[in-house]
Amino acid sequence: MQSIESSIENIRKDFPILKRKVRDNKLLVYLDNASTTQKPKQVIDAITNYYNNYNANIHRSVYSIAEEATEAYERVRDKVAKFLNISKREEIIFVRGTTEGINLVAYAWGRKYIKEGDIIVTTEYEHHSNIVPWQLLVKEKGAKLEYIEINDNGELILDQLDKYLATGKVKLVVFSLMSNVLGTISDAEKIISKCHEAGVKTLVDAAQAVPHMSVDVTKLGCDFFAFSAHKMLGPTGIGVLWVRKSVLETMDPFHGGGDMIREVHKYETTWNDLPYKFEAGTPNIADVIGFGSAIDYLSQLGMEAVRKHEMELTQYALDKMSQIKGIVIYGPKDVSKRGGVISFNFHDVHPHDVATIVDREGIAIRSGHHCAQVLMEKLNVAATNRASFYIYNTKQDVDKLIQSLGKVSELFKL
Amino acid sequence: MSDPIYTEIIIDEARNPQNEGTLENPDISQHDSNPMCGDSITLQMNVTDDSINDIKWSGEGCTICKACTSVLTQLIKGKNIDFAKNLKKEEILSELGLEYLAKQSPIRIKCALLSMKALKLGLYSYLAKKLAGSLSLDNLKDDAANLY
Ligand SMILES: Cc1ncc(COP(=O)(O)O)c(C=O)c1O
Repeated sequence: MQSIESSIENIRKDFPILKRKVRDNKLLVYLDNASTTQKPKQVIDAITNYYNNYNANIHRSVYSIAEEATEAYERVRDKVAKFLNISKREEIIFVRGTTEGINLVAYAWGRKYIKEGDIIVTTEYEHHSNIVPWQLLVKEKGAKLEYIEINDNGELILDQLDKYLATGKVKLVVFSLMSNVLGTISDAEKIISKCHEAGVKTLVDAAQAVPHMSVDVTKLGCDFFAFSAHKMLGPTGIGVLWVRKSVLETMDPFHGGGDMIREVHKYETTWNDLPYKFEAGTPNIADVIGFGSAIDYLSQLGMEAVRKHEMELTQYALDKMSQIKGIVIYGPKDVSKRGGVISFNFHDVHPHDVATIVDREGIAIRSGHHCAQVLMEKLNVAATNRASFYIYNTKQDVDKLIQSLGKVSELFKL
Repeated sequence: MSDPIYTEIIIDEARNPQNEGTLENPDISQHDSNPMCGDSITLQMNVTDDSINDIKWSGEGCTICKACTSVLTQLIKGKNIDFAKNLKKEEILSELGLEYLAKQSPIRIKCALLSMKALKLGLYSYLAKKLAGSLSLDNLKDDAANLY
C-alpha cells in the first residue's frame, strides 16, 4: 500500500475546494475535519450522475432507472458491511447521521427496555449527541445517567465503570471511540468486555473513529454503532446505525410510514423485514450513493495508510506547538493513543479571537465548545481552539497555522 | 501592524473592562449566552427613579464581547431607563469602530451584541412587572429578539 505522503499531490487534486481562495486571496487551509471533511470530485460526481442519469425512487417500481437506483443504493449497504467487517447487511440502517442513529436507539430500544431505577453510563468526553438523548430518556423513565470521568491525560478512568456495573442496575454503556475534542481513543475492548461480563449492552459513537482508522465492528463486539458520512469524505445528511441483529429484532419501529411496512390495514400494520423496518419514507438516495463513493475512495487509500498519515501529522504538530510559549494542549500526548484532533488554548486569548485572526490567513480552525460542554466544564474552560487533520493536509498546513499564531501574539502583544 | 477588528482600542478595552463584577441586590439581573461559542454573561442593574444608577457585568467572553459589554455599561450607567431602552446597536459598534462587523461577520456580530440583548431582555422583564401588557413593551421584546 502506498503511503499518503507519496501521493498527496494527486490526492489534493481530487478536492476542488482546496484550490479555493478565501479572504484576501489566501489559499484555503482547511483544518476543521473533525467537524466535517471536504468532498473529492468522485463523491460529487456520483451524486450528480444519479440526478442526471437514473434519478428514481427506490424499492417501489419495476422500470429500468428505478431498478438502477435501488441497486446502487443497496450496493452501498454492502460496501459499508465490507468496510467495517459486518457479516449481516440487514443490520445496517441508513440514517441522517450519528445524531439520528443515537436518537433511534434511545427511542426504539431505550423506551422499550429502560425502566425506573435503571442506569445508563456515558462519559465526560461525549458529544452532546451522546448525552442529550439519554438525558431525555432517563427523565422520561425515572432512570439515571452516570458519567465515567477522565483523568489529567484526557483518558477515561475505567475503574469507575466497575463501580457502576457492580450496582447491577446498568442497562447500557455508551461511549465515543474517539473524542472529538481531545482525540483520545477509548479502550473499547476493555469497556465492552467488562460490559459483556455484566450482561450490559454497549453503544459506540464512532463518528470520529470510522473516518480515521480501521474499525472492525464484528471484533469490537458492541451492540449499537453509529457514524456519519460527512466526516469521511461523504455528503451531509447520511450516516449509519448498525445494531446487532438479535437486538434489532426486538426493537419497535422508530418512524412510521412508507417502506417500513409489510401490510397496512385500517387499524393494524405489520412491519417490513430488517433493515427496512427502520428506514421509513423515501431515503436520502443521492447521498447514500455519494457515500458509497467516499467508502471506495478511502478503501483505495487504505485505512492503515490514513491512520499513519494522521499520526505523522499529529506528531509533527504536537512537537511544533509544544515549543510555542503560552500554548496549552489538551488530551493525550502519545500519538498512538489519540487521533488527529488537537485542542488548544493560546495564552488568555479567547478561541474566537484566535480563530478570527488565523482565518485572515485562510486557515479554518474551529473555536468554541465543540458540542462538548460537559467536557469544557471538566477542563474548566469556556472554549478551546481545535485543529483537526485529514488525508489532504500537509506539514505545510501545520506550519501555516503556527505562523498565524505568531500574528495573534503580535496583535495581543503577548 | 493594523487589523480591522483587533485594534488597540478593542484589545485594551477587553483587557481592562469597566464595570466588571456583581451587585448585591440588583433590581435587574439578566443572563444570556451564545450557544455557538460559549460567550456567557450576566448583566445586573440597580434602578432608582427610572435611572440606572449602577450596572455590573460578569461572565466569560471573547475580546469583542468583553469590549462591547464594557462600552455598553459605561454608556448607560447613570442614564434614564428610556435611554437604555432605545439604545441602538450602531451606537455600541461605532464606539469601537466595529460598524462594518454586521455586514462582514454575521457570526461575530453576536459576540458584539450579546450584552445588548441581555440589556433589552433584562429591561423587558423589569418593566413587564411594573406595566403589565403595555404595547411598547412588546416592541422591546421584539427588539431583543431581532438584534442579530
Ligand atoms: C464524537 C461525535 N459524535 C457525534 C457527532 C454528531 O454527528 P452528526 O452531527 O453528523 O450527527 C459528532 C460530530 O460533530 C462527533 O464528533
